[in-house]
Amino acid sequence: MIRFKRFAVGVMLMMTCLLALADSTIVVRDAWVREAPPGAAVLAAYFTLENTGTKEDRLVAVRCPDFDKIEIHATEIRTGVARMIALDALPILPQAVVKLAPGGYHIMLHHPRRALAAGMSVKLELRFASGSHMTVVAPVRRAESGAAHHH
Amino acid sequence: MVTRKALISATLIAALCVILVLGYLAGRTFREPARAISIAGMTVLEPASPLPEFRLHDQNNQEFDRTRLQGKWSFVFFGYTHCPDICPTTLVVMRDVQKIAGGREQGIQYIFVSVDPDRDNAATLGRYLPYFHPEFIGATGGHGELMRLTRALGAYYESGEARGGSYEVHHSAAIFLIDPEVRLRALFAGPHDAARLAQGLQRLKGGS
Repeated sequence: MIRFKRFAVGVMLMMTCLLALADSTIVVRDAWVREAPPGAAVLAAYFTLENTGTKEDRLVAVRCPDFDKIEIHATEIRTGVARMIALDALPILPQAVVKLAPGGYHIMLHHPRRALAAGMSVKLELRFASGSHMTVVAPVRRAESGAAHHH
Repeated sequence: MVTRKALISATLIAALCVILVLGYLAGRTFREPARAISIAGMTVLEPASPLPEFRLHDQNNQEFDRTRLQGKWSFVFFGYTHCPDICPTTLVVMRDVQKIAGGREQGIQYIFVSVDPDRDNAATLGRYLPYFHPEFIGATGGHGELMRLTRALGAYYESGEARGGSYEVHHSAAIFLIDPEVRLRALFAGPHDAARLAQGLQRLKGGS
């Protein structure tokens, strides 16, 4: 009986390790929310995902109590027309880096429940197809294109 | 044998027809004076293409028509305020163009035309645009008037399918440049770069 218990505890410990391992294969960096004009109905969040593991994973949902609804989107420009495409999931291949950035992939944040301005931050919970999930703090920032400094 | 001869004749006649049609079309194209010249992401229309009459209103509920474009260089972008990514990104670029090239005092104006009049009105635009620049003009109107303007510029917009009580609006990503004689002078395809837009304007201003 004791031996079985030990065995069971051992298995559980191993599984915990595996879960921890599964959790750690995706790294989230540089999360931020683009500050929107006052009263704007929608905002966008951006971050960089890196898959350090050997298996593909997929970002399947983002949750945050500060918004009514959150979707994973891609801005696509085809034949000169910009379209927003809602994605069910965003795949991250093994060893790949997927960058969400203005003009490309973004997290669409519908109807903020509190006024968000630069200097504030929100907590985004990212959920992956592998079952792993993590919470990142995304500061609200005013977007600068920086192009004005070129000349 | 007869059928083979007939086949050859038919092919020859068909080929001749194609050549004639192509020749006619080519001749027509060469006679056409309008040209579009692309330099560094900017497509210049030669000659510039005059805009038709249109009636929109601005964020102060003032009429916004051709006369508002007279005597100024205008950068025009079509979008909507429920657009979280490409529209604010483009407006930030326009803000940077304003920093480099100047605004009202230099006779340059920046116009955001909402192609989502069902959700955007004067009040919405009045709250949205000053965040980017206090001089920016917001305009919108009925779909008929919007179509009249977009069609003349070769711009496009279309509302997407409703999903969960919301919808996206697909729209041209280009920024259009209207000259002081209210003619479409050039357009810039994305991705937009403020320095390039400002240079393009300077080049055209210098040449006009």
